[in-house]
Order: sequence, then C-alpha cells, then structure tokens
Amino acid sequence: MLARVAENVYWMGRYLERIDDTARLINATTHILIDSHRDTGFSWPVLVDVLGEDSERFIKEEHSASERAVMHCLIAAENSTASIRYSCSQLRFNARCVREVIPRDIWEELNGLNLFMQEQCLHASNRHKRYTLMVEVIRRCQMVIGVMDGTMLRDDAYHLFNIGRLLERADMTSRIMDILILHQLLPASGPRGQRGIQWHAVLNALGGVESYQRYVTREDERSDVIDFLMSCRVFPRSISYCLDRVREEAAFLPHNDSLLATLEALRRQMDDQDLAVLDVEGLHALIDTLQSGLNDIHTVLMSDALRLSVA
Amino acid sequence: MSDVLALEQYEPYAGFFDELVETRGTPRPHALPIARFIAEQGGSALVERQQLLDDTIRAMGVSFTVYSDSQNIDRSWPLDVVPRTIPSGLWKRTSDGLKQRLEALNLFINDLYNDQRILKAGVVPASLVHESRNFLAPCQGITPPHGVWAHICGTDLVRDETGQFLVLEDNLRVPSGVSFMLENRTVMKRVFPELFARSTISPVDDYPRQLWSMLASLSPRPDDTPVIVILTPGIYNSAYFEHSYLAQQMGCYLAENTDLLVENDTVYLKTLRGNRRVDVIYRRVDDVFIDPDVFRPDSVLGVRGLMGAWRAGRVAIANAPGSGVADDKVIYAFVPEIIKYYLGEAPLIDNVPTFLCMDDKEREHVLANLDSLVVKPANESGGYGILIGPRSTEQERAEFAEAIKAAPRNFIAQPTLNLSTSPTLCDGQLEPRHLDLRPFVLQGAELYCTTGGLSRVALRRGSLVVNSSQGGGSKDTWIINDEG
Repeated sequence: MLARVAENVYWMGRYLERIDDTARLINATTHILIDSHRDTGFSWPVLVDVLGEDSERFIKEEHSASERAVMHCLIAAENSTASIRYSCSQLRFNARCVREVIPRDIWEELNGLNLFMQEQCLHASNRHKRYTLMVEVIRRCQMVIGVMDGTMLRDDAYHLFNIGRLLERADMTSRIMDILILHQLLPASGPRGQRGIQWHAVLNALGGVESYQRYVTREDERSDVIDFLMSCRVFPRSISYCLDRVREEAAFLPHNDSLLATLEALRRQMDDQDLAVLDVEGLHALIDTLQSGLNDIHTVLMSDALRLSVA
Repeated sequence: MSDVLALEQYEPYAGFFDELVETRGTPRPHALPIARFIAEQGGSALVERQQLLDDTIRAMGVSFTVYSDSQNIDRSWPLDVVPRTIPSGLWKRTSDGLKQRLEALNLFINDLYNDQRILKAGVVPASLVHESRNFLAPCQGITPPHGVWAHICGTDLVRDETGQFLVLEDNLRVPSGVSFMLENRTVMKRVFPELFARSTISPVDDYPRQLWSMLASLSPRPDDTPVIVILTPGIYNSAYFEHSYLAQQMGCYLAENTDLLVENDTVYLKTLRGNRRVDVIYRRVDDVFIDPDVFRPDSVLGVRGLMGAWRAGRVAIANAPGSGVADDKVIYAFVPEIIKYYLGEAPLIDNVPTFLCMDDKEREHVLANLDSLVVKPANESGGYGILIGPRSTEQERAEFAEAIKAAPRNFIAQPTLNLSTSPTLCDGQLEPRHLDLRPFVLQGAELYCTTGGLSRVALRRGSLVVNSSQGGGSKDTWIINDEG
C-alpha cells in the first residue's frame, strides 16, 4: 500500500471512532442532567473541553453556555472540529481518497453515514430528537465496523484503520476521565473508595455500565471506575485494552521498531503506577502522561512506520 | 387510467429516429417487453422508480466533480429511468466497425512515429501531421508492445434520422465515462430487477477484467504478475471517481505522481513496504504533463524520467504518449482513407460528413453556411468552443468566421445532425430527448469492445449537448438479443 493511502486509512479509523464516541457522550451527559440534582452544577460547555476544544473561548465567542449552543457545536456546526458533522465530512473525505483499498459495501456505508448526518444534523432541536439521532449515528458507525469485519482483507490498511480507532478511543476515554470525572463530577479528592462519583453516567458514555457491574462483582470488588477505565484488560474501552490491541495491530506493520518501543514505554508507565494510592492531583498527572504518550505514538507512527514527514 | 397511457401518448419528433418506438404507440420489436412494462407500471410508477434510482445513486456515492466558483463540488450522477435499447444484431456490426477503426488508427499512429509511409503515399497531407501540436517528437522511432499506441478508445457515436450509426469523434487521449456505464447497470439492476427477467440483455460487467488483461498484455515482464498502476492527477480531478473506481474494480494501485519515482529507467511505486517496480501505467493525465523533463516543464502532475523508462521499453504507458496525434478533428476526416490504406477494407461505420476549413473550397462553403453548420475546433474536448449554427447569434458567427480565417487548420464543420431520440422522463412525462453513445474499445494483444457503452442524453428539450459538465444526463444502454 502507498504511504499516502495509509495515512488516509488511519484517519478514517480515527474519525469513525470520534463520531461514535461523541454520539455516546452526548446521550450519556444528557442522562446525567436528567438524573442530577440542581446543585451538581453540571455545565454543558465542559463537553467542548472533552472534545479537545477550549470551553472558555467557546463561551466568549458564542456568548452562551446553554445546552442548545453546546449541542450545536458538538453536532451540527459545520466549522467546529468538535462536531459530529465535521467528523463525518472528514470521514468521507478520507474514504474518498482510499476507495481503491476498501470494498464497495464499506464505501456505501460510510457515504450513507455522511449523507444521513449532513441531512439530519439540524433536526436535533429537542432532547428526544437528539437522542434518536445519536442512537442512529452510533448504529451506523457500528454498521461500518461490522461490514469491515466481514469483508476487508487483513492487510496493512485494516491494521492502520484499527490503530486509528484504538488511539482515538484511548484518547477519548482519557479525556472523559480527566474532564468529566476529575473536574466535574468528583466532589472531593480522596483515595480509592471515597471517589464517590457519578460513575454510572460516565460508564454509560462508554457503553460499559453492565460490563463494569459484572467485572466488579465477579472479578475485583475493590476496583472503582477509574481503575476499570484505566487498567481493565478485558473492557474494550479501557486504556489498557486499547494499548494492548494497538500493539497487536502494530506488530503487523513494517518499520515498526520505534512504534513498538514507544507503545511499550507508555504501557510500562501505566502499569507501574498503583492507582490505589493516587489522589486527584496524582490522577491528573497520570492522565497528562497518558495523553502525551498517545501523542508520541501518533507521531512515531506517521514519521517511522508510514515515513511521512510530520509538519 | 391516464397512467397506463404514458407510453401511448409518447410522441416522437417528426424527422428524427426514435430508438424505442417506430411511431406513436408502436414500439420497435426488440423494445416490446420494455414498452409493455412501462405501460403496465404506468407513468407514476416510473416517477417513483426514478426517485428510488436517484436515492440509490446518492447512497452509492456515484458522482462527478464540477468546478464552480473555484470550489469543487461532487454532484450526483444523473441517470434516466428509461433504458436505451439497441438490438444485438445491429450492435454486433457496430462493434466490429469500432474494432476495425481502432486497429487502423493504431497502425496509423505507429506509422507516423516510424516510417510515415502514409504521408509519403500522399493519403494524408504531411503538413497536417507535422504542424499538429499532438505530434510529439520524443515519441519518434518507438514501437510499443503489439505496435499499439491507443489502448483505450472512447469513440462517440450518434444515430442519424435513418437510425444508422455514425462516428462523431475518436477519443484517444484519456477518454472517461466507463465507470458510469458500469454503475448505471448496477443501479438499474437494483431498481428494476424484474425488468431484466423479460429480455435477454447482455451484461457489461466484464470490462474491468478485460481492461486488466489488456494492460497486463503490455507488461515488459510477461512472465510475472504485472504491477499495474492508474496514474491520477488527484482527488480534485473531475474524473477522480472513475480513477478510484477502476482501481478498486481491478484491484490495482491508484497513484499520484509523487507516489512514483524513476531510477535507471525503471519506474517504482513508493509503498509502505519499500519501492515496487511498476510494469504498466494507465495514465489519466494528459501526455504532455507526464514528464516535466521532456514535455511541459511546468507540469506538477508528472514524473521525472518517465519518458526515458518508456522509451527504454521498461514500462508500458496506456495510452502511449503521442497517441493524441490521431485524435484531431482534421485527422478524423481522413479516417475512412486510413482504414482503406492499412486494412484494405471499406469502413464498417461511416463518419459524419465533415468540411475541412484548411481546404479553400470547403472553407468557402463553411463560411457561407455558418448558420446551418456545427463548427468545431480541431483540438478541444468536452463540447467546449463549438458553434452550433442554427442556435447561434450573428455576433457569434462573425467571431467564428474571423477565427476560421485566421487559423483554418484549427477548424472543421459538420452539418447539424438529426440526432436520434429516446423517451426520457422529464417532469413526470416521457418526452423525446437526443442522445449519443460512447462505447469503449480496448486494444493490447487483442481487440475488445464494450457491449453498448455510455449513453448520454441532452436533458433540455431540443438540445444536442450531452456533456454531463453542461447539464447532460445518461441512460443505461441495453443490447437486447434479437437474433434468437
């Protein structure tokens, strides 16, 4: 495969995952609001931070911190890199550049997802419609994954697509932990056992409520949500799981020495840290390390495995 | 009940050949099953199917790119719900004629770049070739594999008022449209599965395999599986959809110029796993752009050293650089003579009558009859720069007259054709619309012609302009067995 094409396939994976994760986050946070008492002080612009944008700047530019303004930014805003609509355009753009390496059914699913989103994104005016729209977006993302699983050659393109998805997923999980849990929902700092947070809603955003429940009651009753999201090796949205899987996929790629080494270094840093003793400050620092580690993996993948000059 | 009459009420234009009906209410024999289907379904069902068809095309992402306001916009491909029908007996003779024509044109091109026997014999004026900007000096002395230069040809055919096929032009440079021929059929099969059961309609889907085999037959390393690359100008090119579609269907690489490099007259593809030798390049870039060292130094689409590798016979390029010398509307006028000269045969398909402005007498005739003729520049494509006499203004005619006098060699003129029609769904009704046909002919080790081709239809009433960039539509082309 051509290096140029490889990069597009990787970005396809990243954008597809981002669309899926954002839709889940939107529905889950709406649930938090429905469930919560007024005094939790949950503020919508925090979601802008989760998507990697600056909420303070957002409030200043939009003159609003309302649910409506934030949801527009996350769903339908054409020029906001945080919006699902933007990610759908980018997904299709990247897919258009690599049509020759993906089977026709996958192209049709991706193209259909983008068409659907461009047409429907402005019809999420109330919470009910928004919920239905997000469910459909999630479903369509899963369709793409399913068709890929069933039809695509297990060659470099497939591995790069998966690496893109897994890195984006790890990144999103880390930001949800960092911003939603630590900043927003954790009333007081403290070691394990006292982190009384709204884990239910957060796990909801990650589709992990039932998995967590089963894991805690059967495997490790001392595990809390942070432990689970950080280090559960069998939960597909945990950091450990994502890094394990990236390593499996990276093993198939050419020129992967530095990529594997970078991955290994990050995994060791994560494994060496005993989460039980960390207070909130310590957890923040650990998540910072994690996020810069994920960045390094991206950079090394581009510069060494794909041999692209990184701007 | 008015629905049932949709086709009964269809009124073909007087003086034109309609391909579906002989006269109002009388379908042609090979089109009877379709006519019956339309009558059964009725007009409103056709409108519904048209909607379904448009939705299918959007979902499939079949698009072409138009440039407007310096933006590139993907537009959905326009396909009419009513197929265009051609009886197989007629098609057999036509495709034989197309193969005959391409075979002769390739002998002609190879002769021009080598011995120039045809010029010495005075069959084609030597000045015509020597003054042609499509005659590329760096190609002289080369004989590509099988002596073939134009491997992929998209000939434009029209049918006159008697229904006879005529060649309108030969497209030997980088003809496009075949992906739409293939996708039109895919869409029609999804939308009209039951209609296909009523007639014997020839399939079209072996084209990608035929194209691959033809390209493979050019490989300089015939004993190995060839590495075949489609060279595209990139994602912003108007035909990018087709480039990626053909790469996908053939399973070959789609490369931009920066993905290729040449060392020691060998072309390599830069892959994730190192450089891979390239055997055959199907270029979708104009020949004068392929190598800035040899042709246009300002080309940002080319690959340095590519011409050297080709001249050394270490890579095949389709169509070979320089093929465009035979794709010139003045040369076109000589094709019947060219066929006779090389093959000793009469042409199986005629040309449209053509006046050469370089000839004093013919130019006088053209200038005196601008209001009834179609004037075309010798070297443009896409329907640009054409004067359609009966629809022109006095000022346009005056401008063309000046241009013709200034550079007579650059213009030809043809009578306004009575292009055939076919019923087309327009605002919920079936109306006659003019169409042409672009079959694709391949020549490598062997000759091949598509079953049918891409039918383009002028959607505006009375219009003869079928180009999709100028508001034309398309139809699926059905070659229907009428030979038992």
